Amino acid sequence: MAFEKSRTGYLIAGAGVATVTAALHLFSGHINAATVALALLLVVLFVATWWGARPAVAASVLGVLCFNFFFLPPFGTLTVDAWDNWIALLAFLITAVTVGQLSAHAKRRTEEADAGRREIERLYEELRDAFERASHAEALKRSEKLKSALLDAVTHDIRTPLTSIKASVSTLLEELRAKPFDGQPLTLDVETKQDMLEVIDEECDRLNRFVEGLVELARIEAGELHLRRRWGAVDEIVTASLARAGSLTRGHRVRVEMEDEIPVVQVDPRAVAEVLFTLLDNAAKYSPEGTGILVTAERDEDDEVIRIAVENEGQGIPAALRERVFDKFFRATRDGDAGDGRRPKGTGMGLAVAKGIVEAHGGRIWIEDGKEGAGTRVVFTLPVGDADEMPERLAEVASGAAVSGEMNRP
Amino acid sequence: MSQQPRILVVDDEPQIARVLRTGLKTHGYDVRVAADGISALETFNDWHPDLVVTDLAMPNLDGLELCRRLRAISPLPIIVLSVRGEEKTKVEALDAGADDYVTKPFGMDELLARVRAQLRRATATPAGEASAAVLEVGDFRVDLDARRVFVRESEVHLTPKEYDLLVHFVRHAGKVLTHRRLLGAVWGGNYTEQGEYLRVFVGQLRKKIEPNPSTPRYILTEPWVGYRFNPDS
Repeated sequence: MAFEKSRTGYLIAGAGVATVTAALHLFSGHINAATVALALLLVVLFVATWWGARPAVAASVLGVLCFNFFFLPPFGTLTVDAWDNWIALLAFLITAVTVGQLSAHAKRRTEEADAGRREIERLYEELRDAFERASHAEALKRSEKLKSALLDAVTHDIRTPLTSIKASVSTLLEELRAKPFDGQPLTLDVETKQDMLEVIDEECDRLNRFVEGLVELARIEAGELHLRRRWGAVDEIVTASLARAGSLTRGHRVRVEMEDEIPVVQVDPRAVAEVLFTLLDNAAKYSPEGTGILVTAERDEDDEVIRIAVENEGQGIPAALRERVFDKFFRATRDGDAGDGRRPKGTGMGLAVAKGIVEAHGGRIWIEDGKEGAGTRVVFTLPVGDADEMPERLAEVASGAAVSGEMNRP
Repeated sequence: MSQQPRILVVDDEPQIARVLRTGLKTHGYDVRVAADGISALETFNDWHPDLVVTDLAMPNLDGLELCRRLRAISPLPIIVLSVRGEEKTKVEALDAGADDYVTKPFGMDELLARVRAQLRRATATPAGEASAAVLEVGDFRVDLDARRVFVRESEVHLTPKEYDLLVHFVRHAGKVLTHRRLLGAVWGGNYTEQGEYLRVFVGQLRKKIEPNPSTPRYILTEPWVGYRFNPDS
């Protein structure tokens, strides 16, 4: 390739000089030596630029010979009679060679710079690919890690109740066994039996809650949460949730503050009640007994939404974790160093499900500081429905006959 | 010390702790419960239990660290409650000094059997016996001075390494011994990763002492963890 290229260079050098000489020779009567020298220099320059230093030298030498032979007297010989012509010839040779070398050098530098630039581009591409591959692998690894963390959480939540159940059942069975395994027959007193059976009962419920949560979550994630929307009053939903959470919030002082003129909303009341129940359950779980829980509902005029909040007087959730508590299986008390060191009591799914339900209604859910700066306040919004579509009976309710803030609680 | 053996149960799951307390109490044990490693250490210092049953994953001070700290101050038997998926931590706990493990969920009978075995071992081998000239457990008698080994009253001839391995087993009968611990004890600290050594020597030892080496009853394999020596067959 390189050889091919340099041979072409020599050929062009020869052909170029020959062509220019022939052309100039046609006008030999009308042009002077300087014109010839410049024209030949042009050929040298051309050859140097495209084919490098050596063909340029060849072109220079050839140019000198032709200059001498055809254009310096005595014409047709390689001798020169006048001194000044010798000097002109020498000057031409030196100029031609120098110009050739310089331009070939410049050409080489350009090529080197080009090669360097290409190399840098190539390296850049390679580096970028490597980064892309690495970040892809990183993302994969992270998602694998997440998956195994989820699996760990799920298996822990299933295995823990199973352990209690298995240990209880095996103790109860032992009493019934004809041949006890450690020598003496075992007789359990009534209290012990009751204790064991209670554990089994409670742990079965816990497992069931967990499975229900999983199913609900799976449904939300698959986009299969079918809301059965109908017109309903917010206070009814609040009352229903408070009643359902009654046994969980018994140890707390529950207060309800509702604006009088809360519009009716077009929601799935069962689902929204579920959200509120989860929030009440959490509020009670994560605050000491005897402290207060405040439920508020108000209309936010600007946003055309109803804002419902549940607030406790617990130790609160650090701002950094307030987004993450809505992730499934995330528990601030366990995963976020926000607890008192005890295992959390929840399944890690309640808020994830709540978020799914609220968002399916077109609302938002978030966490803020409690009103007094302490505790946790979980707020969610529900869009106010279009009043024109409201059935008449409900419109009456909405226009003032609504149940006021006084709630019956167990 | 009272007549009833004292067992300290350490688990942060209240329901599991509750069941274990009741289950162990009905079998005549005196039981106390701690919800984390720190309070377990406090109870240990005040109450001097005979055995500790501990969960591995716990807040504040986990089961692994609890094993380390207890082992540093006491030779009492420790049984670890683990779940599948915690194998690494379980082995670490055994390396750190735990004596046995039970995998959740477990039957009460299984835990009770482990508890009985560990308490028996703890009372059968008081600290002084380590210097005795003859070790006798179950079917095994080892004359340490003469380096002679008798299984069911008949002598077996062992190579020096097999002998060292057997003596280590006999001294820690009933305990789960991790690969790492056995290698360290018999071959020294540089060999703790050479699992294949151990397999070869255990195989040879089984051929010499087991009535049926393919279904061993003295040197039992604890899959992925190590071995347990059961001298009574």
